Amino acid sequence: MDVQIIYNIPHERPLGYLIATYFYLTGLSAGSFVVSVIATIGGKVEYKPLGKIGAVLAPILLIFAPINLILDLERPLRFWHLFVYLNFTSPITYGTFLLTAYPLSGLIYAWFVFKGPQKMANFFGILGIPLAICTHGYTGFILALGKGRALWSTALMPSLFIVSAMVSGIALLILIASIRNRFFLKNPEEREKDKGLITGLGKFMGGIIIMDLFMVFNAILVLLTSTKEAYEVVKLMLFGSFSLEFLWIEIFLGGIVPLFLVFNKKTSKSLTWVTIASILTLIGVYSMRVVVVIAGQSVPLH
Amino acid sequence: MIRKGEKRKKRYGFLIDLRRCIGCHTCSVSCKAENGVPLKVFRSWVKIIEKGKYPNVSRSFLPSLCNNCDSPICLKNCPVKATWQRNDGIVMIDEHRCIGCKYCMASCPYDVRHINPLKKYVQKCYWCYHRVDKELVPACVEVCIGRARIFGDINDPNSEIAQLIATNPVQVLKPELATEPRVYYIGLDLDVMDPMKGWKGWRHDDGGE
Ligand code: SF4
Ligand code: SF4
Repeated sequence: MDVQIIYNIPHERPLGYLIATYFYLTGLSAGSFVVSVIATIGGKVEYKPLGKIGAVLAPILLIFAPINLILDLERPLRFWHLFVYLNFTSPITYGTFLLTAYPLSGLIYAWFVFKGPQKMANFFGILGIPLAICTHGYTGFILALGKGRALWSTALMPSLFIVSAMVSGIALLILIASIRNRFFLKNPEEREKDKGLITGLGKFMGGIIIMDLFMVFNAILVLLTSTKEAYEVVKLMLFGSFSLEFLWIEIFLGGIVPLFLVFNKKTSKSLTWVTIASILTLIGVYSMRVVVVIAGQSVPLH
Repeated sequence: MIRKGEKRKKRYGFLIDLRRCIGCHTCSVSCKAENGVPLKVFRSWVKIIEKGKYPNVSRSFLPSLCNNCDSPICLKNCPVKATWQRNDGIVMIDEHRCIGCKYCMASCPYDVRHINPLKKYVQKCYWCYHRVDKELVPACVEVCIGRARIFGDINDPNSEIAQLIATNPVQVLKPELATEPRVYYIGLDLDVMDPMKGWKGWRHDDGGE
């Protein structure tokens, strides 16, 4: 049947790049925090510098993240309402407290990582992991509970967000660690050892990228075969106006290429290639946030 | 079920009888005038589609407004309880409390909320509660030239709306989402209620930062 829309009123798209950036930064923070704690507790002395890098990055990123949220408010000066008027069915209410508690615990952790004692660093590190995961996981719930949008309201969303957060966190650590290796480590022997660590981290990143791609594949497959709106939104991502951001940037440049680089015999041993892989991954994950937030709202609701 | 002697709770509902709608937009205009709705945004409007091939063609209408749902997802998701519900079912927004996070707009499956471009908080249709409280019907109901819009207490079996719902096949939009919408339609066309029909796959790049 031929159908022409003669007249309709679509409303403004509510959430945009600021929210995508916010999701990206919390993800980076949570990911680098978790890796930092693993490195700190992991025992081996070589890993300690990685732990320190992550410990500094995590709270810094998480100070910038909520700025995006506040700027996105139509009434930024009313942000304090979030602390006094609580609604326990809203994920944003939980987020308010997570976003306050997590950077604080991250700062305490970072303090002990640098100043010792090691025991306290371990303690606050382990304490911080669930906080970090919740802080990022709740952002997944924000989308999952937006029941009007087919791309968002799936049970996969929080886990997908946590996995991609890990990917981006590791990528950022690799990037910073290889800058340190290149410009700040003078002793060639130490440098060689450090390089081994970074390329090892590259493999770890590769493993989690596989998990991430698997989850995205699941999401796409199920959306393709569920409701009409879900089908349309996936069509938009695969062949429509988001195919550049989704297929090419997120999946190909940010997933498949880095995967090749960190597992290929030759490139996986080269610091340069692993660093390039990490940069591509960072871009890919940002693209994922943009696609989820904006493509998710690009299908009409009436 | 209501037992004898029990006091019945008032629950307002809204019925649109599309057999009587001619797609004249009088409701949209009256809403703007009554509620001072700014330019560029609408709380009540009429979607129009045209279907078929000449000479077998027809137009269908979908008068749209907030459903003042019984299980409103906008209310559940509002982080500061700026969105709240009256005992008679009307979903309200406290304009002094709303922080403009727009989560409600993103969650509402019907896309009926908008940001007031002048006052910078979220607004929507609240069935002219200020008129209803004075025993008047909402402005759009008052002006509808086909008498296609009927407003009243759906829990009162003697009201016109309850009787129409009881004696006609009615439907609501997206019942599968369990928001329990309280805008009922008689004679709603399948194609006009389908957001994907006639949609050209545009990209929503306007608005939002
Ligand atoms: S139609 Fe949308 S805005 Fe209105 S009550 Fe239902 S969920 Fe809320
Ligand atoms: S925009 Fe206002 S009404 Fe909507 S969820 Fe945010 S605070 Fe609540």
